[in-house]
Amino acid sequence: MRRSFIARNPSVLYFLAALALFTAIVTILSEATGTGLISTSFVKTLGKTLCLCLVAIAMDVVWGYCGILSLGHFAFFGIGGYAIGMWLMYARTELIVIESLAGQVIPPTPQEISDAIGNQIFGVVGTSEFPALWAFADNLYVQLAFVVLVPGLLALVFGWLAFRSRVTGVYLSILTQAMTLALALYLFQNDSGLRGNNGLSGLQNIPGFADSGQDVVSIVFFLASAAALGLGYLLFAWITDSKLGNIIQAIRDDESRVRFLGYHVESYKLFVFTVTAIVAGIAGALYYPQAGIINPAEVAPIASIYLAVWVAIGGRGRLYGAVIGAALVSLLSSWFTGGGAPNIDLGFYEVQWVDWWLVLLGLTFVLVTLFAPNGIGGLFDRLVRKS
Amino acid sequence: MTSLLEMSGICKSFDGFQAINNLSLNIGEPELRAVIGPNGAGKTTFMDIITGKTKPDRGTILFGEENRSLIGMSESQIATLGIGRKFQKPTVFEGQTVRENLAMALKNPRGPFAVLFYRKSDTGAAQIDEIADQINLTAHLTRPAGELSHGQKQWLEIGMLLAQSPRLLLVDEPAAGMTAQEREHTTDILKVAAQTRAVIVVEHDMEFVRRLNCKVTVLHEGSVLAEGTLDHVTKNPTVVDVYLGRSDAGH
Repeated sequence: MRRSFIARNPSVLYFLAALALFTAIVTILSEATGTGLISTSFVKTLGKTLCLCLVAIAMDVVWGYCGILSLGHFAFFGIGGYAIGMWLMYARTELIVIESLAGQVIPPTPQEISDAIGNQIFGVVGTSEFPALWAFADNLYVQLAFVVLVPGLLALVFGWLAFRSRVTGVYLSILTQAMTLALALYLFQNDSGLRGNNGLSGLQNIPGFADSGQDVVSIVFFLASAAALGLGYLLFAWITDSKLGNIIQAIRDDESRVRFLGYHVESYKLFVFTVTAIVAGIAGALYYPQAGIINPAEVAPIASIYLAVWVAIGGRGRLYGAVIGAALVSLLSSWFTGGGAPNIDLGFYEVQWVDWWLVLLGLTFVLVTLFAPNGIGGLFDRLVRKS
Repeated sequence: MTSLLEMSGICKSFDGFQAINNLSLNIGEPELRAVIGPNGAGKTTFMDIITGKTKPDRGTILFGEENRSLIGMSESQIATLGIGRKFQKPTVFEGQTVRENLAMALKNPRGPFAVLFYRKSDTGAAQIDEIADQINLTAHLTRPAGELSHGQKQWLEIGMLLAQSPRLLLVDEPAAGMTAQEREHTTDILKVAAQTRAVIVVEHDMEFVRRLNCKVTVLHEGSVLAEGTLDHVTKNPTVVDVYLGRSDAGH
């Protein structure tokens, strides 16, 4: 007898319920809606964490389910952030420029306005010319389309080249690292058109919502992030539950056997790689307005490696595992490195968590790999099965 | 019996080692054929070449009524054309259930989007039940394939081949590591399968080949040494010399 999607995947329902409950609690306790028990900056941290969970489940699908250890998915996340950041920065600068020029006796010409905006944005890298990349920066809808299209197309082209040549395993991981490194190096250049190492800033100010305080903006983005995570979770749960889910897991376990069954393995990998890249781009577009700034260091190779570490600690091959891993490790990381954790004075040496957090994380990663290969999610599964 | 697969003049060398040397072979439809030969005779390379895993240096392979050349096609194209292969080591997807393994093999559209939106059908379920019955795994359909015994995994893999409904089935050492009882059942599965399609069995075990009771091709150093019934080839002095005379096969 065939059962419904939810009956086959009870964890989807539990996850969505938990997410809804969490969202409701945070909303009620936020500054915007009254009680103010949770500060605006912490609402932003939580909202960003939800975006990281979204990119983590994408990573879990591409790695945990399909077996492609991509160490470049944070590049797609960053591209999504840049795409939306360009509009945010342009539109806000435009508002400021128009306001400041409004006092002049002679009304400014469109050319003057454009020059002033260019000067404001690119003065920091010694130019006032708009690079070709910014051709559509004034159009929110085009930039929103770029959030999806640019990561999608990059993944499609990169994946097609890599998978067609049957690059697998560690070689593919290195190739994806090279991709994200190349992107970071390109962005670091001052003449890249994206303000070099200054990146894009002031992204927390949403044009058109100048009257709303950051407390309102933060809760709106928090809710949007929660909705995106919920929808992303549903999408990936549906994909992994479909027959395509069976095929990609089979590809993970024995790629050549799948070929002899008559499946074109490369198309499947390309599909998964591209879909997850798009979701990563969307997650990035929601993340950076909450972070307020994006710069090339965000897409440095290490970021994508952290992503893999989160998924490994949380538990590969189960979507909630990726969520647990990403949420836990990224929140702990900001707690330890943000001065939240008290330093330990050993008398002869003071353990400062800012320095020692990475050691702790590395140690955890080693321990998880050795003793709990299925991560926290795996331990969770064992408990559920016992009861 | 019409000819299904025609191989002629196939050559393949690896770093100077001539694995296949001017090999020519015809398989009809339906037909059951056993391919035997000592180690290093080129049996596995022979299968690799048909299924597209290895590209031959020379020669032609034609398949079906339209005489389509298999050379240059990818593994998945050849598989969808109707050639199924069972590996020596049972390779089933251990993390997935027996039913899922069979469902993946069922003859259905193979494109990612068709598969993503694939909905389970009653005819598909009926096909799976029928195959499960043939391979004695009806009681195990919901178990992960990794939990099956070695012999059951071999059957599951044969079942996955049958689910593909191929016209040509290549089976590499199906009886390896099986108990006597399991071997008997394997023989039955292959004999039934060969009533409607071509089946090539590569085997080491002479007793198993004898039970298949079919035409035998002896490979030696990459080419056909003898062809005929098992009794016929075992009487051939060259065959006795290169193969039976010095190996322990035939016990």
